Amino acid sequence: MIELSEVAKAFGARQILRDVSFTVEAGEVACLIGPSGSGKSTILRTINGLERHDAGTITVDGTLLSDKSLPAIRRKVSMVFQRFNLFPHRTVIENIIEGPVHVLREDPEAARTRAVELLRRVGLADRADAHPGQLSGGQQQRVGIARALAMQPRAILFDEPTSALDPERVGEVLAVIRELAEDGMTMVVVTHEIAFAREVADRALFIDEGVIVENGPARQVLTAPSAERTRLFLDRVLRPH
Amino acid sequence: MSEFLTDAVAFLPVLARGLATTILLTVCALAVSLALGLVWALMGMSHHAPLRWTNAIVVNTVRGIPIIVQLFCVYFVLPDWGIDFPPFLAGVIGLGIAYSVYQAENLRGGFESVDRQLVEAGTALGMSRGMITRRIVMPLGLRTALPSFGNTTVMLLKDSSIASTITVAELTRSGQLLAISTFKNGTVYVLIALLYLAASIPLAMAVRALEKKAAWR
Repeated sequence: MIELSEVAKAFGARQILRDVSFTVEAGEVACLIGPSGSGKSTILRTINGLERHDAGTITVDGTLLSDKSLPAIRRKVSMVFQRFNLFPHRTVIENIIEGPVHVLREDPEAARTRAVELLRRVGLADRADAHPGQLSGGQQQRVGIARALAMQPRAILFDEPTSALDPERVGEVLAVIRELAEDGMTMVVVTHEIAFAREVADRALFIDEGVIVENGPARQVLTAPSAERTRLFLDRVLRPH
Repeated sequence: MSEFLTDAVAFLPVLARGLATTILLTVCALAVSLALGLVWALMGMSHHAPLRWTNAIVVNTVRGIPIIVQLFCVYFVLPDWGIDFPPFLAGVIGLGIAYSVYQAENLRGGFESVDRQLVEAGTALGMSRGMITRRIVMPLGLRTALPSFGNTTVMLLKDSSIASTITVAELTRSGQLLAISTFKNGTVYVLIALLYLAASIPLAMAVRALEKKAAWR
């Protein structure tokens, strides 16, 4: 479904990604973990062209990413952001139908009906007419997920979806993501939630200094990593401070 | 005091007509300045360098010439080239152009204050640049620009008095004519000042109310 091959990227003189290659199969959940600044968010952002890669190839659902194919790829891949990025001047339901109505040119009534269904799915059926500013972080992120789903994507990219949340709000968002995984949605998730990754992800990739250090079944990478660097990172993250 | 009041009652109908013209002039010039200002603002933020340069030249030229000289250019110079506007229209065009560069700055400040991450959210949804500008940057940026927009409008109201120099019978000009014919300078100019205040204070309050209404929860 998503294939990166020898992807490289530099910001000025600073090399951010080096020779990044991996594949995410349809229906698979892949978690990208690694220290801050390791390049994991940048990897995610190259997949839908929010960052342009300098070298290598990215293929999504059989389409090679290029300037020309970018619009088509953005229709196939949705994104959920760390800081939700909901449109503050629109209500919850307007946020959700924005893409379907204005990008996909769907009938507004049909889009609205589907949005209500999605809101029920993320447990916010009663907040359709609220503004994002009236919602808690966890609720906003669930709207963010509903907005991503409304595009009927082939895959969803999650960029640290719980990092900006109060601890007691993390669970409600992870529960929604877990349900999507059970429904077979293809997902690439940048996260610091190791326990969640262990439970939900099929594949885990450990990224450090722009390089994939380790790529394998989530349970193996996150419980019995083969690379020393992965082990050190997990120790630091999992050990109580 | 009683003499002032009797004079005021006598002068007010004339001055009220002047005030009506002042308000109409302000509203029309405001519309022109906003429309042009939006063009300048979008040009200034364009990805095409020639558009940005053109914008920089226009903005700096217009900003560098006194408004009274701009009005003279429209009213006295353009007729030499066969373009002849009646005084009121010349005032609207001159003030509209002069103020468009300030409106452009207001609008651009508002647009640029819009969170880049919201633009990214639109981009990720597959929206085009134009769609992002129309549906995200403009509605959010306009709200941020409202306070400075209010200030500019009050300034425009006051600067509309410059149109008196090209014979537009607005408040200042009506007053001047009254003062000349009656020699009651004191009464007339106090009344003019009060009438400008009477117009600008509600305007500032209206902008305030609009700001409150536009603030999303």
